[in-house]
Amino acid sequence: MKAEAGGRPRPAWDPRRLLSGVRGNLELWANLIILTWAVAFAVWQGTGFAIGLGTVFAIWGILSVSLNLVVGYTGLLSVGHIGFFGIGAYAVAVLTSTQDYELLRTGAVPTYEWPFFAALVVGVGLAGLAALVVGVVFNRFRDDIFVLVSFGFAIIAFNSFLNLRGVTRGAFGIHEVARPQIGPWVFDEEFDFLVLALVCLLLVSLVSWLIVTSSFGRVLTTIREDERTAEVFGYRVTHYKLAVWVISAMMAALAGGLFGSWTRFVDPNSFILLESILLVCIVILGGLASIWGSLLGALAFVLLEEGLRFLPFVPDVHVGQARQMTLGLMLVLLMLFRPQGLLGRYKL
Amino acid sequence: MRLRSSRTFWSGDRRGRLLAAALVTAVIAYVGWKIGESPSQALQFGFNGLSVGAIYALLAMGFTIVYSTVWFFDLYYGASAAIGAYGVFYLRSKDALSGLHSVHNAYVNVLFASVVAGVVAWILYETLYRRLSHRYNREVLLAAGGIVSAAAGCYTLAVLHYTENLNVVLSPAVGCAAALATAWLVFKGLERVVGGAGRRIVVGVAAVMGLAVGAFAALYVVGEPGTRLYLSWVLSCLLAGVVGLALYRGLYAHMRERARSPLVMLVATLGILLAISAAIVLVFGSPARPLPDVFGSQPREIWGGTIKDFNLFTVGVAIVAFLGLLFLLKRTSLGRAIRAIGDDEEVSKVVGINTTVVISIVFFIGAVYAALAGVLSGHDTAIQPRMGLLLLLKGWIASVVGGIGNLYGAAIGGLALGMVEQFGIWDLAGEWRDVISFVLLILFLSFWPRGLLPRR
Repeated sequence: MKAEAGGRPRPAWDPRRLLSGVRGNLELWANLIILTWAVAFAVWQGTGFAIGLGTVFAIWGILSVSLNLVVGYTGLLSVGHIGFFGIGAYAVAVLTSTQDYELLRTGAVPTYEWPFFAALVVGVGLAGLAALVVGVVFNRFRDDIFVLVSFGFAIIAFNSFLNLRGVTRGAFGIHEVARPQIGPWVFDEEFDFLVLALVCLLLVSLVSWLIVTSSFGRVLTTIREDERTAEVFGYRVTHYKLAVWVISAMMAALAGGLFGSWTRFVDPNSFILLESILLVCIVILGGLASIWGSLLGALAFVLLEEGLRFLPFVPDVHVGQARQMTLGLMLVLLMLFRPQGLLGRYKL
Repeated sequence: MRLRSSRTFWSGDRRGRLLAAALVTAVIAYVGWKIGESPSQALQFGFNGLSVGAIYALLAMGFTIVYSTVWFFDLYYGASAAIGAYGVFYLRSKDALSGLHSVHNAYVNVLFASVVAGVVAWILYETLYRRLSHRYNREVLLAAGGIVSAAAGCYTLAVLHYTENLNVVLSPAVGCAAALATAWLVFKGLERVVGGAGRRIVVGVAAVMGLAVGAFAALYVVGEPGTRLYLSWVLSCLLAGVVGLALYRGLYAHMRERARSPLVMLVATLGILLAISAAIVLVFGSPARPLPDVFGSQPREIWGGTIKDFNLFTVGVAIVAFLGLLFLLKRTSLGRAIRAIGDDEEVSKVVGINTTVVISIVFFIGAVYAALAGVLSGHDTAIQPRMGLLLLLKGWIASVVGGIGNLYGAAIGGLALGMVEQFGIWDLAGEWRDVISFVLLILFLSFWPRGLLPRR
């Protein structure tokens, strides 16, 4: 900690000195606070609670890490990520559901009763395909207009989930989505599922880390900083952007498949535009172009909801709103004082 | 080595224009085919498109004027629409909605009152203080300004508290506004006729006429409970506009100085939108609420198609708003300043335009337009917390389709968007309306990226 040039050194208890210490080591403090908070919460609330929370964290973590590849490393601010998440969830739900729809008399929808992992592969593939098509169209847009059309993708995806009743069963949703199964081992216990989700999170983070540290990742960073330069050096910017877009969409679909299987029920309300905006909030809050930041952001996001639940002046039904409000105000503050997010390496 | 690798196969300019022309032709052919199929039904869809398109055009106009001045997208805009609509609900819920779901929240009152007090203080500072501070004691001036703005805040608090007698509480304000407006108009008119000769007489006549009209307006408002509706519209639009102004002056102006790209502003305003939408749910709850019917729900029949009186009124409001904005931009010195700032902010600052004040006014106007659209669409259908985001997106699409930064483009784009949406759901089901508008947007941006009427 340095004293002001020319002046007397401030005493250790001076609030300005303390504040500058926090500002200088913000990353350390963010890590410390969020991780301590998580551990304290897990200890206080007991294992059952921590297992559920951990699964939610793993799903949001996969989503935010994958979105960070697009937003943080490539510089495309996409608000439509939830669409790919939904494609993954719906693919798994439609293909694995064992519900007898004839009983409900809401139209004949065939049941396939596939195993989870086969359905997951199909879902990831479908999302990749959708991302390819969408990406070819969206590749022309950048900055503000990209944000607008990605809003559009989220809305189109949501409306498709809601209105293609022959496939998705509309607002009724799909029940009895299968849990994953490897041979005789069914992931029926919550703890088993948590392990699976965390393994997936680890894999996604590892792949993302490999991507961003490879030469491919360096080209992406160049595109973010200056697209023209990347072109001049002979890289096909379009192809790079498309590739990372598809990869990120496939990761999101993986998270979607896990989500559908975990809740065992999928309906369009999980894939509204708002969730997508909150996801962007997580990525920016955690830090642009930082995988660890994304993980931390997702953790903070999950903890925030549970933390707000224990505040005396927030009624239980309004926890979601309180969280949304906190995130919104946090976004404003970040944009004012720290446009790269808590652990970010790239200023928006 | 291919330098232009980002160009895809359809992106050549000529091909793009050809494809766009083909698209427009296809749309026109489709509409023509539909008209041939069933003229009366086509007329009906046309009427629906007109009434929806008028709201979109209102949104697009406000959006485009803000964007073409500061060159970033202000997403508070959607929240402003929601504030306008919910403001009417808030002001009317004790009275017209017979106390059902009556909402009253002291925090909201205090929040709006303090925003109004702050904005009044700022206005006084920018206008009177700057002129008078050379001649009078500054401490006295500051104290007087503080007292006046505190009084304005208290008055707002009173108005928001006694909403069941809106016409009585607001009558002094209405009287003052009418008096000032009349006096100003009379003064300007007579001054042009008389010239500089009889200035004192002109001032006297203007003052007397202003007082008379003001007193009459105040008395009329007090005696006529039917004016509460219109007062609530005006008040909630003004409040939303004041919040927009306060946001620019208090937040965006500082943020713009250090922002590296327009995306920073976009994300920050997205945060504002999130926070305000959440606050709306916290105060009003999440279910959709009705606003009272205004001119009766009985539709009027014109040439075999039916349209509600309120929708005709909406179209009228949109036309008036369009003409007003056009007049402001093309004929007044403020409009010249706005256009100058849009062209080059630094240079306008150098030639002596007070850019902060002008841009604040632009944000006020934009927010008022959004709130107006929110009120009108709220009366037309119902109000729900999501409406802010949806209206924002529709206004955004309409302004981009029309050509961002062009007022005519915004009007035409809004109308076109409404028409395409309504004709689109003729064959598809109504649920696909939002999809249609976004597909239109994406097609348009792919083939005709600068919009129908691009800014020169």
